[in-house]
Amino acid sequence: MSEIDNDKAPMSPEEQKVYQARQKQRAIIMACLLLFMVVLFYLITIVKIGSGS
Amino acid sequence: MTTASHTFHGLASAKDLFALTKPRVMSLVIFTALCGLLAAPGPIHPVIAFTAILAISLGAGASAALNQWYESDIDAIMQRTSQRPLPAGRMDRDTALHFGVGLSFFSVLLMGLAVNWFSAIFLAFSIFFYAVVYTIWLKRSTPQNIVIGGAAGAFPPAIGWAAVTGDVTMMPFLLFAIIFFWTPPHFWALALFMNSDYSKAGVPMMPVVAGRQSTRNQIFGYSLILAAVAVAPFALGLAGVVYGGVAIVLSAIFCVLGWRVCRSKTTRPDDMVAEKRLFKFSILYLFALFAAVVADRIMVA
Repeated sequence: MSEIDNDKAPMSPEEQKVYQARQKQRAIIMACLLLFMVVLFYLITIVKIGSGS
Repeated sequence: MTTASHTFHGLASAKDLFALTKPRVMSLVIFTALCGLLAAPGPIHPVIAFTAILAISLGAGASAALNQWYESDIDAIMQRTSQRPLPAGRMDRDTALHFGVGLSFFSVLLMGLAVNWFSAIFLAFSIFFYAVVYTIWLKRSTPQNIVIGGAAGAFPPAIGWAAVTGDVTMMPFLLFAIIFFWTPPHFWALALFMNSDYSKAGVPMMPVVAGRQSTRNQIFGYSLILAAVAVAPFALGLAGVVYGGVAIVLSAIFCVLGWRVCRSKTTRPDDMVAEKRLFKFSILYLFALFAAVVADRIMVA
């Protein structure tokens, strides 16, 4: 295949910047979701213990 | 043009992952599921109720992601869907598949562990029905695709109900039937003025296969069945006068608008006033009817 595979081609400094910004954004969102789930599962556990089920 | 050049080294943005869950469709799912949950008899702790709605929403998002994973080829052809993350080349198909499968398992497990396993199995079946039975199997093979797809969209209120009671009785079945019979007139009205798009994609949408007039007749036919089903909870004594009044008045308007569509002969999408009016009213109709179910329940309580 003569076409350049952009996934494997080295990134230019600008591309790297955008890539890292996107990575960071996804990491922050994932951290927030995980935190939300920790709180939710904590509350579910409290409710379940309270109702005896 | 390669997909990779747009997906930016294989990394989809969080915004596109969110778009993959069809947030606008999800708002209707959340609303109807919440109404089913609030209308069900019996107590449910607010935290468990919130978790049930969250699980149903995540399940709907998973179905939407799997639907777009499978349909990226036809989405690329239709103007309405060509800017979705996959056809626009902002995400690769594997990402969509993994996201959809992961979200499916998570939503079902969440429902099972936090709420009850009956509603979890019900949720799993609804995801399977939408992603496999509708999207993969029947959408491209029958002009009744929308009727079958309507069944998939009709599960949320029954699942919401099952989250409280752990079973399904006549009332949640009727809530299911309302959305089931509402979908064909709602979607075919849209398909009539979007006809050219579906023809291009080769989807056997009713106006493409059976013609405009047959579709218009069927819209009216389904409107009559919908009216009967919508009034049934009141007629059977499962809902009070608040719901009964709203259902009778709105269903009568729905039938009149359906009759106008049936009488319409226009072939130009720009002139399809009756079809556009029915489409807009159908959205209001469903929201009002489900709000009335809850209002009625609150009044009785």
